[in-house]
Amino acid sequence: MHTPSIRPILRKLIRTGIGRFRFLMGTVGMGVAVLFILLAVQTFMNFNELLHGKQNANETADFLVINKEVTAATQGRKELSAFNEAELDSLRQQPFVEKLGTLTASNFNVNVSSYSDAIPFYTDAYFESVPDEFIDVTSEAWAWKPGQRDLPVIIPTFIIDLYNTGMAMSSQNFPQLSLEALKAIPLRVLLKGNGKEMEMVGHIVASSDRLNSILIPQSFMEAANRTLGYRTGAVTTRIVIKTKDPSDPQLVKYLADRGWRTNTDKTRFSKVRVIVNWIVGIVGGIGLVMLLFGMLVFSLFIQLTIASSKRDIELLKTLGASPRQLQAFLMQQFMPVNGVVMLAVVGGLSVIQWVLHRILLGQQMYIPPYVSVATLAAMILVLGLIWLTNRGTVRRYLKD
Amino acid sequence: MTITLHQVVPAPIREKALSGMSDIWNRELVLRAGDHIKVKAPSGSGKTTLTHIIWNLRRDYDGTVAYDGVNVLDIPAEAMAQYRQEKLSVVFQDLRLFGQITALENIELKRNMPGKPYCSLEKVQAMAAQLGVAHVLGQQTSTCSYGEQQRIAIIRALVQPFTFLIMDEPFSHLDRDNARKAAGLIAAECRDRGAGFLVTDLDDDDLFDYSVHLNL
Repeated sequence: MHTPSIRPILRKLIRTGIGRFRFLMGTVGMGVAVLFILLAVQTFMNFNELLHGKQNANETADFLVINKEVTAATQGRKELSAFNEAELDSLRQQPFVEKLGTLTASNFNVNVSSYSDAIPFYTDAYFESVPDEFIDVTSEAWAWKPGQRDLPVIIPTFIIDLYNTGMAMSSQNFPQLSLEALKAIPLRVLLKGNGKEMEMVGHIVASSDRLNSILIPQSFMEAANRTLGYRTGAVTTRIVIKTKDPSDPQLVKYLADRGWRTNTDKTRFSKVRVIVNWIVGIVGGIGLVMLLFGMLVFSLFIQLTIASSKRDIELLKTLGASPRQLQAFLMQQFMPVNGVVMLAVVGGLSVIQWVLHRILLGQQMYIPPYVSVATLAAMILVLGLIWLTNRGTVRRYLKD
Repeated sequence: MTITLHQVVPAPIREKALSGMSDIWNRELVLRAGDHIKVKAPSGSGKTTLTHIIWNLRRDYDGTVAYDGVNVLDIPAEAMAQYRQEKLSVVFQDLRLFGQITALENIELKRNMPGKPYCSLEKVQAMAAQLGVAHVLGQQTSTCSYGEQQRIAIIRALVQPFTFLIMDEPFSHLDRDNARKAAGLIAAECRDRGAGFLVTDLDDDDLFDYSVHLNL
């Protein structure tokens, strides 16, 4: 059965004595505030998707080799280049570090030369080793057991490139060599230290893009350091970390604060992220401030309405209108417009999101075609906040 | 429902109320559903003060007023509204109609205030016809004569459920004939509901079949 409502009569009695223009301006202000807030949330989500989304990721993790920077002030003191245990522990506990490994340096003299007269060369060298899990290439030959004379070696790809495109081009004595060719050349590796000497047959087994170092297996490094090492105890001067996001501003700041160096090309994107974070923060901040003013304006509208209808509201209460009835009526005057504003803003954002999705798709970047759940959640949160403050105002002023 | 006045002494007429001449002030008085009470008092003796104190509109008094044994000052606003929508009704001396809406809207406001109306719109029109104000129902209330407004206020008091009706000089602007018609309607409505009433006036009258006469 249709129950007649007193609302139409209440509407005649309690006029929202604000004026259409002011109400419209207040509503528009509220709309812009909500737009800013939701835009900030959506931008943040989009940017996150671009950085971490599976559809944008080339690799799920990245590796950074870190060392302490040698400056004019520290160059005379080699011990300052070493990482101590406390530093390693602290770094290990950072949220951006998934795994941490240390590069063990050879603590003896290394001399590499050719067995063949066809490609004569002779050079002093330097080896490092790292746990296998940090190495980006796999090779069956990458193993060493005690007593084995063959020594597998991984060299950085850039050295091969440097040799082939630089040295080999500039001198007629050096032929260009492919990685396959290099693999076939045995190397005479002479190790000296601690009054002892050892000769190994080196074989290049792979080249690494990740680690800029000449690597030998960890097991051999430990054995050789024990036998030939000048010092007791290894010194860690380079470390490698596995991280989900090398552009994490937290990571970049952590390294910069300590004067530690890494491959800056990988962390360069972090600057953009910091800027975007700032912009998102500023837009969100402005939105929040505007929302505060918007809510204040609406609260004033409510106060004004109640004040201008004070006598009639008083009489309604005298006649038996319950506070709940009056509150529901007043809320109905102010809340629907806020709901409409929210829907309009989300509608607008949806269109923008869809257009951006299409544009970015053309550039092989993916953002979802729809606004994020977080954006919708933020909308509900803001609407809830407005509802709560409006209800608070209505209650307070009805009581008076 | 019962309304209990316990040693009530209004602050503005304190001395007069304490003089011991009144059947109401500073005494114990219980108003019950079946009571037909006439309160007679000259002008300025506190008739309106009494109705306002019973209606819980003013609180400047000593003693207590209780609805069903609960001090009205302790009844929460929602529960008080429920009393005023379902158990108590009133005709104020100053009528308290909304002047800016029509006479019918004034009545409809009260009729529809509880979720489910007590009587039908046809019944409202019948009552208006009975009291001779059917022709002003669509008129803006402020343009109606005081006598017409008084009858609208009476009809408004009768469209809701109640077990007790309070009336403060309800016929002050009605001629004898119209007062009789109004009293007849009120008596019939109270009978239908098994309700009691309290009416204040300046003089004696035979408009109702009173069970209790009180001097203020």
